[in-house]
Amino acid sequence: MDSTFQKISIIFFLLVLLTAFVWVEETAFKIPDNWPKPKYDFTKNPLSENKIELGRILFYDPILSKDSSISCSSCHLQYTAFTHMDHALSHGIGDSMGTRNAPALMNLAWHSNFMWDGAINHLDVQSLAPISHPDEMGENIVSVVYKLNRNKKYRHLFAASYHLSSITGEQVLKSISQFMLTLVSSHSKYDSVMRKQSLFTNQEKNGYALFQKNCSSCHTEPLFSNFQFVNNGLALDPDLRDYGRMKISGDAKDSLKFKIPSLRNIEFSSPYMHDGRFKTLNQVLNHYTKGIQKNNTLAKELETPIILSANEKVDLIAFLITLTDRQFLFNPAYGFPK
Amino acid sequence: MKKIFFSFVMSFVAPMLFSQSYKPVQVNFKPMFGSQELVLNDSVYTFNLKDSVYIETLKFYISGIELLCKNKMVWKENNSYHLINLSEENTLHLMLQVPKNIHFEHIKFYLGIDSGMNTSGAQGGDLDPTKGMFWTWQSGYINFKLEGKSNACATRKHEFMLHLGGYLYPYNTIQTIVLPMPAKTSAIIVIDIKTFLSAIDLSKQHHIMSPGNNAFLLSQIVAKSFSPWIAPSKK
Ligand code: HEC
Ligand code: HEC
Repeated sequence: MDSTFQKISIIFFLLVLLTAFVWVEETAFKIPDNWPKPKYDFTKNPLSENKIELGRILFYDPILSKDSSISCSSCHLQYTAFTHMDHALSHGIGDSMGTRNAPALMNLAWHSNFMWDGAINHLDVQSLAPISHPDEMGENIVSVVYKLNRNKKYRHLFAASYHLSSITGEQVLKSISQFMLTLVSSHSKYDSVMRKQSLFTNQEKNGYALFQKNCSSCHTEPLFSNFQFVNNGLALDPDLRDYGRMKISGDAKDSLKFKIPSLRNIEFSSPYMHDGRFKTLNQVLNHYTKGIQKNNTLAKELETPIILSANEKVDLIAFLITLTDRQFLFNPAYGFPK
Repeated sequence: MKKIFFSFVMSFVAPMLFSQSYKPVQVNFKPMFGSQELVLNDSVYTFNLKDSVYIETLKFYISGIELLCKNKMVWKENNSYHLINLSEENTLHLMLQVPKNIHFEHIKFYLGIDSGMNTSGAQGGDLDPTKGMFWTWQSGYINFKLEGKSNACATRKHEFMLHLGGYLYPYNTIQTIVLPMPAKTSAIIVIDIKTFLSAIDLSKQHHIMSPGNNAFLLSQIVAKSFSPWIAPSKK
């Protein structure tokens, strides 16, 4: 069977060649010390400088919306950890209102589901939702790809990254993913304390203990979420009637469950919760101490009320503020492309 | 430059890889309405005696093609995902490259996309989201799409839209289809939309646009509308 041998050696040769190409272009994804392995499969979309930059340009370009009025960054602003500042419910095309609060975008490589109800199952296909949503960008991926293919700048950028003659939907989506994957926040004061490079104040230390006791079962370190869907006791808004995860799973056990958000950069990502009902962290803590609505899907941990004195609330908030990562919020690599 | 070098190498290597005798096996899909050929945006077809229908879109995914001999898999296509779209004639004909020495009696394939591929992010080729077969607001492929108008539907302009898909238990809509394939070099597979429409109630099920029990049940019925083509004997 020397033809088999021949084939194997040829395939081997090809693989070596291929890895040589990939090796030249790939950019490594850095996992912060002591963080778990990311969920995103980088082997299917290896990072490269060109593609990250292309993704960034797309993220900031209103070409993705129907009337070129809205870009991803219209609702996801860097200085507020990529959430929508001062808008409880996001505004989209033609000033229409969405029904949910834009979440902060960071450490997305560790998420396995996206959106408050997990409607999106992979980061690559996330962008399809806002592009197609009539209240958001009101466009569709077919005409986005058409517009990009007619645009000289984009034809060059895509050719430089993908070495193909025309732009495809897959390339557009994977490029936007590449940029979003680089949005890693791991340089807060909390992180430097964990790395033994600085110390908490007494107040922060006390807040940290309260946090570990009351909050970390859901807002689990180091990402400050375990990304499960739970009911944290918010009352149903009678106008929005948003039952969260149940809409996706069709299972009554998932009624009022939402994806646990990370609390990194929480100081800057107000308003809070899926519908942006709270403006301040104080209001959030008041919810956990005296606003919990009991019903049969409520998380076990919240069945018995959390008790926090006025001073303890101040300490807990002092701790939450140590999750602010200025390096992330002001990193020029994440800003509007030059 | 790299690309040129790569294709240069490939032009030598590819013939060596495929030099072992392969034969093309053609699989042709033949959309029918009963005994008539199904044509889009053209004829009005009748079914259930009194109902009529006009078809505008028929698109579906065929994946995981295998050839079987005595119920055992003897060959399978790699990366086997095909979008069949009646409005693009060439998509109705699949060309399989099968080693010459392989004997088979049946063809097996899935109608739809497996759950693994549903959760693997953006794909290219026939799976590219620009093909209009990926839901945007809740991730997942549409396995089967049939759109048109029928007097049976009390909807705006009598329109119906059946988008069947969903990969999550218990409403996983992918269907396995096994059909005899006696001819060695080609097969014609009929999908009979009359069989399908006669088995459902279009007056109630005219807009299915998300995963769930309806999509699940209708997918099973679509799967039963596939059969090997038998040339009409009487002239
Ligand atoms: C009109 C405002 C708006 C625009 C424009 C917009 N988004 Fe969003 N984004 C939202 C809202 C609101 C949510 C949460 C929706 C939900 O949970 O149902 C969200 C959720 C997300 C999430 C999920 C985050 C998580 O933690 O689950 C990602 C990722 C995201 N958007 C990326 C993008 C990208 C990329 C674009 C541009 C292609 C974009 N967004 C455009 C408002 C917007
Ligand atoms: C049982 C799990 C659970 C526990 C325990 C829990 N949370 Fe939450 N938290 C959630 C969920 C779920 C949400 C999102 C709910 C929604 O929007 O519907 C949330 C949202 C928040 C938000 C808003 C974040 C944003 O970006 O909008 C803050 C702030 C917060 N929690 C702080 C805390 C603090 C502080 C504690 C401890 C006192 C705590 N949580 C305990 C599950 C939990």
